[in-house]
Amino acid sequence: MYILYSLRLAIQSVWHEKWINLLSVLTIAAGLFMITLTFFSVYNMDLATKKLPEKFSMMLYLNNDLSEQEVGNIMSTLKKNIAVERARYISKDKALEELKGVLKNADYVLEGINENPLPASIEVKLRQESVSISKVKKLAADIRKIKGIEEVEYGEQFLNSIHSIKAGAQTLGLLMISVMSTGVIFVCYSTVKIMFYRRKEEIETFKLLGATRGFIRAPFVIEGGILGIGGGVVSLIGTMALYYTLFYKLALTMPIFKIIVFPSEVFIALPFVGLALGVSGAVIALGRIRFS
Amino acid sequence: MIHFTNVSKIYENHAALRDITFSIEKGEMAFITGPSGAGKSTLLKIIYLSEKPDEGSVTIAEWELSKLKESSIPFLRRNIGVVFQDFRLLDNRNVFDNIAMALRIRGMTEYEVKERVMEVLKTVNLRHKADSFPKTLSGGEQQRVVIARAIVGEPTVLLADEPTGNLDADTAAGITRMFKEINAKGTTVLVATHNKELFRNTGRRVLKIDNGTIVGEEMG
Repeated sequence: MYILYSLRLAIQSVWHEKWINLLSVLTIAAGLFMITLTFFSVYNMDLATKKLPEKFSMMLYLNNDLSEQEVGNIMSTLKKNIAVERARYISKDKALEELKGVLKNADYVLEGINENPLPASIEVKLRQESVSISKVKKLAADIRKIKGIEEVEYGEQFLNSIHSIKAGAQTLGLLMISVMSTGVIFVCYSTVKIMFYRRKEEIETFKLLGATRGFIRAPFVIEGGILGIGGGVVSLIGTMALYYTLFYKLALTMPIFKIIVFPSEVFIALPFVGLALGVSGAVIALGRIRFS
Repeated sequence: MIHFTNVSKIYENHAALRDITFSIEKGEMAFITGPSGAGKSTLLKIIYLSEKPDEGSVTIAEWELSKLKESSIPFLRRNIGVVFQDFRLLDNRNVFDNIAMALRIRGMTEYEVKERVMEVLKTVNLRHKADSFPKTLSGGEQQRVVIARAIVGEPTVLLADEPTGNLDADTAAGITRMFKEINAKGTTVLVATHNKELFRNTGRRVLKIDNGTIVGEEMG
């Protein structure tokens, strides 16, 4: 029953100390806004790197003297591999034709070459989930063991770079989110601590009348929650305003902004994240209440 | 109801209570008297667990205080109504809310709270002051609000620390009458005072304390 009374006390306190609370809400909102921006940056970077495997392929160069039967065997072995999405055989003639297509007007460089110097090859596209450094390395090693494969080529350097960028962005993002979350908790902690000291005499009287720890803590925890939710809602409004005014309008003139994705789940989560951080700050601020 | 056995309380180099032993029976009304600094307030503070004794044992009803868990302290305090020397009224709350606080901490519904507070305000003749704030009341009225807050939870023990401190003789007599009425309903009452007028001709037990020691006992 005392929860209702605690809620009333918390609302009264929020209103009574409205300026300090408003300042806290705005600070929390700024922190949550930064967290959201960091999250969106990492999310979009992750999304962008997830699309890269679609363009990733391995080139398997074949020995010159392979029969059609042997090529067919290699193709069926590859297609049976769970990591392989599809495999395309490129004969020597097809390879030369494709090269000429690439060179276009500069095909004079091939004049004077009597014999086709290009080897037959197989282009292998991998399944998205198989495009990781370890899996590609293992697959390349397995393929090299297949009889008739002269050489295996893939963008190892490219794959390493993508992995490093992704891991770096994730680590930096996580670090930023942790620092900002700690900041938000600290703001709630400080505000509740100030409120607690301002009402110290009142709390002492509560204790002497027989109030339990729960009764004493509840209004402050609720107050921390209100500040957190307030900050969450303000940052939600800020994020939506940024999304609709900046990105939506800019995308009309600069289509590059169209590729930026804002997951709507994050919008809804913001007040709840604020609530959780606010309550955590309040709980830490109150610590252990002693009766004697 | 209240049993002190060889209780001592020492603050740094100064002993506030020394080897105190006494008992107050259930339903009794008694007084503790002595000069300022004799140890009266410390003795009451030990009963409502604001202070812990350094030596000896204290039992309130079936509660042995030294064995009491900290989390149980609030529940013991709900059985002890205290009239504090410094009133401890909250200036930002009106009379009704100051008294209601003692019931709200018990988790009572607002309906029950209203019923009980209005009833107790009638007992102390302050029903018309329910919406007033403590600072607008006289000393005697404030004292009656404190008594109302102390008895609204129907405690088994009522402690009063210098309840007539700054009150005129007539108001003080009224407060004493009020304690007698509360006691007549079965509540054990212990009043700490240096005002001899308060217990003169009451026919109640008076414990004399001086320099932290009980120096005598007489009937008022």
